[in-house]
Amino acid sequence: MSVATLLFILVRLSASPAALLAGAGASHAEVRSAHVAYGLDGPILQQYVTFVTRALRLDFGQSPAHQAAALEVVRLRLPATLMLTAAALAATALVGVSLGVWLGLRADRPEHGWAFRLLLTGQSLPALIVGLVLVQVVGLTSAMGASAPLSFTLSALTLTWWLTPRAARLTAAPVAGAVRQTWVLTAKAMGATSRDVLWGHVLPNSLLAALALVGVQVAFLLSAAVVVEWLFGWPGVGNLLAVSMQARDFPVVEAAIFAIAFLVFATYAMVDLVLAAVDPRLRRRATPP
Amino acid sequence: MTGPVLAHEMGLSRRLLPAPAIPRPGLLVGGMVGLMAVAVLGLVGAGIVQEHAAPAQRLLAPGTIGHPLGTDQLGRDVLARTLAGFRWSLAVVLPATLIAGLAGTGIGLAAAASLGWTRVILERATETAAGFPFLVLAAPVIAIVGRGYWPLLIVLAILASAPFALAVFDATWGGRGRMPVFQALYAVPAALPVVGAFIVADLVVTEACLSFLGVGAPEVAPSWGNMLADARQNVTTAPWILYAPAAALVLTVLSANWFGEGLGQLWRVKAR
Repeated sequence: MSVATLLFILVRLSASPAALLAGAGASHAEVRSAHVAYGLDGPILQQYVTFVTRALRLDFGQSPAHQAAALEVVRLRLPATLMLTAAALAATALVGVSLGVWLGLRADRPEHGWAFRLLLTGQSLPALIVGLVLVQVVGLTSAMGASAPLSFTLSALTLTWWLTPRAARLTAAPVAGAVRQTWVLTAKAMGATSRDVLWGHVLPNSLLAALALVGVQVAFLLSAAVVVEWLFGWPGVGNLLAVSMQARDFPVVEAAIFAIAFLVFATYAMVDLVLAAVDPRLRRRATPP
Repeated sequence: MTGPVLAHEMGLSRRLLPAPAIPRPGLLVGGMVGLMAVAVLGLVGAGIVQEHAAPAQRLLAPGTIGHPLGTDQLGRDVLARTLAGFRWSLAVVLPATLIAGLAGTGIGLAAAASLGWTRVILERATETAAGFPFLVLAAPVIAIVGRGYWPLLIVLAILASAPFALAVFDATWGGRGRMPVFQALYAVPAALPVVGAFIVADLVVTEACLSFLGVGAPEVAPSWGNMLADARQNVTTAPWILYAPAAALVLTVLSANWFGEGLGQLWRVKAR
């Protein structure tokens, strides 16, 4: 709903959406009929209501390029995107989170400064550049020429590279905060080993905080996926969005944005649910006495 | 693509991440030097060498006399085009950040100052907008409106105002209740340059990505995204087209991120 509103406002900024929706080189009569078909001749509030209700009914119209319902075209591409992001997430959870814990435990040591700077530098390398360098290293001549396993591996690698420094930094902050708490000192004074304290107390506490932060990053992973999927020709929703924008296939563009928006908000909802399920403090807050 | 997240992270790390005992200005100084280099290149770089299409000089290798970094598929000098890219990139991103900063500060302060449902609605709306990736919304809008300088500037400014608003709201409210006005007079000016630096880094990348996808700068504009798209087209025949715009993009983003992070650390040290 809020995505529909934002999209509506941004699209209405253009002078004549009907002319563009009818396609380049459309005659005056065609523009006129597109005007009526999209309900663009009514008052602005009515247009808004039409736009939002169509979006809520998931009615995005037919795609002229694919000769099928736009939503169906997008639905067929969803598994590829989910597979790619899942692979990148798994790899990041392994590399990025362990790196973050390692970094967080050494907040006072000199190597922290260097590792931190390295991560900040890694974070400043856009996925686009990393992907292009990979393309050059592998010698990929065209996106179409890539075999599916190769394109999948390269896409997942690029996305992992993108997410790892962010995940590591966001994990390091809560871990560094947790090891300073007095309960760590208390546990150690009571004879717990460093290992017990780390696995039993520090990690459960800090990884929850990290999960909340990294959840936001996962939403942004999807926007990196648009560029990466297109770059390596991986047939996901992002690739479809990029291709449809260039072909001016707006029903599919609209449906793809809503699919991505759905994934973004599903991620947020999932993070909230997991946090509520695992964190007793949040459960207590939800049911005040 | 990370601005709002960094805004969140800042709010959180202010409470959790211990600041170093003495300020380590390395990041801040490095970032400032980098940003100054970027500014100088943006101001004078475009004037040093002329970029013009010369079909007779297509795809010349680096080291050719007169074309130290080679030429692209239309015979344009890669070095000249990359330098012109600084001006293009800054001309889009800096005004967009400025507009977003003003609008965002207004929205954030209004949210923090208002009461009851107004605050809740403003807060939720800002959070939703800031939590949604820029690129996914900006790309189709420019695809519909058409490529160009003004569409890019306006769309980026609108989208970037949400993380600004969230950061200002966080700095003045942040779950702790309303802040006295004199305190807000310090908190907001302290937060703005930090968030602004991250937003600049973000928008530079977003602009390049949009242009790379063909929904950003006009085809002739010297945007690094356009150059990277050219590099993608000629990856086997002319690999040298990639390096100069890639290096320029990374330099800009890195400097802005270092500046923002260094400044944030400095404030955290001062806040203790």
